[in-house]
Amino acid sequence: MLNVEGNFPEYAVPGAVQHRFEPYADNGGSVVAIAGDDYAVIGADTRLSTGYSIYTREQKKLFQLGARTVLGATGCWCDTLTLTRLLTARLQMYQHEHNKPMSTPAVAQMLSTMMYYKRFFPYYVSNVLAGLDAEGKGCVYSYDPIGHCERSNYRAGGSAGAQLQPLLDNQIGLKNMQNVEKVPFPKEKALALIKDVFISAAERDIYTGDSIYMLIITADGIQEEKFELRKD
Amino acid sequence: MATVLAPEIPAPGFSFENCQRNAFLAQKGFPAPRATKTGTTIVGIIYADGVILGADTRATEGPVVSDKNCEKIHYLAANMYCCGAGTAADTEMTTQSVASQLELQRLHLGRAIPVATASTILQRTLFRYQGHIGAALVLGGVDRTGPHIYCIYPHGSVDKLPYATMGSGSLAAMAVFEAGWKANMSEEEGKKLVRDAIAAGIFNDLGSGSNVDICVIPTTGPAKYLRTYEEANVKGKKQGNYRYPIGTTAVLRQRVIPLEVESVTVTPTQPMEVEPSSSRR
Amino acid sequence: MAASVVNAYSDPSTSWMNAPHSTGTSIMACEFDGGVVIGADSRTTTGVYIANRVTDKLTRITEHIYCCRSGSAADTQAIADIVTYHLNFHKMELGEAPLVESAAAIFRELCYNYRDSLMAGILVAGWDKHKGGQIYSVPIGGMVQRQQVSIGGSGSSYVYGYVDANFKPKMSKAEAMKFVTNTLTLAMLRDGSSGGVVRLGVITEAGVERSVILGDQLPKFYED
Repeated sequence: MLNVEGNFPEYAVPGAVQHRFEPYADNGGSVVAIAGDDYAVIGADTRLSTGYSIYTREQKKLFQLGARTVLGATGCWCDTLTLTRLLTARLQMYQHEHNKPMSTPAVAQMLSTMMYYKRFFPYYVSNVLAGLDAEGKGCVYSYDPIGHCERSNYRAGGSAGAQLQPLLDNQIGLKNMQNVEKVPFPKEKALALIKDVFISAAERDIYTGDSIYMLIITADGIQEEKFELRKD
Repeated sequence: MATVLAPEIPAPGFSFENCQRNAFLAQKGFPAPRATKTGTTIVGIIYADGVILGADTRATEGPVVSDKNCEKIHYLAANMYCCGAGTAADTEMTTQSVASQLELQRLHLGRAIPVATASTILQRTLFRYQGHIGAALVLGGVDRTGPHIYCIYPHGSVDKLPYATMGSGSLAAMAVFEAGWKANMSEEEGKKLVRDAIAAGIFNDLGSGSNVDICVIPTTGPAKYLRTYEEANVKGKKQGNYRYPIGTTAVLRQRVIPLEVESVTVTPTQPMEVEPSSSRR
Repeated sequence: MAASVVNAYSDPSTSWMNAPHSTGTSIMACEFDGGVVIGADSRTTTGVYIANRVTDKLTRITEHIYCCRSGSAADTQAIADIVTYHLNFHKMELGEAPLVESAAAIFRELCYNYRDSLMAGILVAGWDKHKGGQIYSVPIGGMVQRQQVSIGGSGSSYVYGYVDANFKPKMSKAEAMKFVTNTLTLAMLRDGSSGGVVRLGVITEAGVERSVILGDQLPKFYED
């Protein structure tokens, strides 16, 4: 049924108007992380969007939190910014108090606590944390928006997370395969796999595209790499 | 009398017999399935010697691309084509129905049908369904009175314009037209402008993507349907190898059915005569 | 609240498909000595987007009867189509040009009977040999009222005062055209959903005479 307020605002009479509070936005983006024996790689696409329009094609969604720790965050971008700002502040406080940087597992635990602190007004962020643990082994932590934390060796998150995860399960987790030998996953293969899953994600997910920004975390330090994706 | 073998031909028009049931199901928390919406960029312009239509080729279901190379420029008649945006099924069926009505009318009258006729048929169809047929169309064609572009909205309103855009990418495409359209452009200039408008939609609107389709309908001579006029986006090259070695897939059950040959007959056949088929359009 | 405003512009489902195509409008008709002058702006909007900036809202019904459309574009186009059909039929049966009053009566009939599903505010204007130039206003709801001068659409609320202050009966054609142009220009300046060019039509015994006043040729008023 046609009505004046909804369909013909120019005919509407001024009066009491009810507004709904919508604090969240979905700015899209996907993130993938893979951990090996002595490395961790994490990549996120660089498209920041809302609805059907693109804000920017070159937004880095990876945050270096320590010498061997990187966080990938997608979802509501303003929440991402707030969360990472608080995180860096807390990391600095830790450094001053203990005179040493936080280990990746410690950062992972703190992130979980900070997310759960906002249990009833959560950060609308899909987090994937990658890095090296105290023994120098690669590790990946993934989260839900209210602080559930899980350690694994590979993880996809964000708008195309559900499309990417099955491929990682198959290629790294060797799921649904027979007569295959579980061998350590080399760094170069992990890098290639991240590029390939993002190529696929850009084909089918409208919020993923433009390019991938990747960080490769090893005992020697953190290297960065960029890879172009389709731009439509 | 309808039987299983010869079912009765259904009554023409839509069937509404499930409406009540579906409303009941929706009320019980079982919503109706979602239709494929083509977040789209479609355009049409008039140039010196006819009209040019353009479209992207992406179809979406929510945030997922459901077809990477779909056809959005539909055939109506030899002198008319129609770009469709909105609900994919609605644009497809509406243009098909209008195409057959136009062909019947052409055979009845024995002359080419004016573009205004198609516009009026579409307008009345869409108005009758009060926007429930979600078809947003850019109709373009030529007739004895010259070239015409019509913009037809789902609620049944029509605009007659020298250049028009529709769909979620219409703002991006219109920006290109408002900056670059001139009266009496050449075919090459026109195609370039239409390409640029569609490309603006493809790259700046997330609902539009993949390739550029163009259809040129000159007042002289037949329409040129240029499917994939430009591949605006090339799929990235895979780095890894995703072939599975033999034996990777689990065999859960095995059964052998022996094939017994009872007799063998050999029939020599001649190659079928195939006419060099002229394009459908 | 910022987020909700941003989403209103960017939400793919609301922006272009669901918003009906409406003519947030300024329209006007004015009797003068010898006929009527009709006028309209040229803006058609879909939400915040200008879908057509050169719309013709002055629609021909017969040779001597026109209507100015405001409200939903789809509804008013459909009504105008149906009235045109009825009057053509009427003319064939009658053997002479239909009266403006008859046109207004059909508009009213449709607008009243379908008042729950239509969004249409129409000015019917024309000339016939019985009563000369006439204007009938058929607003939303399906009333009909003859007026010497009438304005309509969302922009009209800004210029009632101007019209009341400046209308004189039995103006000359040039005076009436100037009056309509000024009124519409003022309405377009204040109303966000009106704009573009001013389209005019002068209907007299001789028929209709159409003209356009482009944006850069509109009269200048106080603007700061």
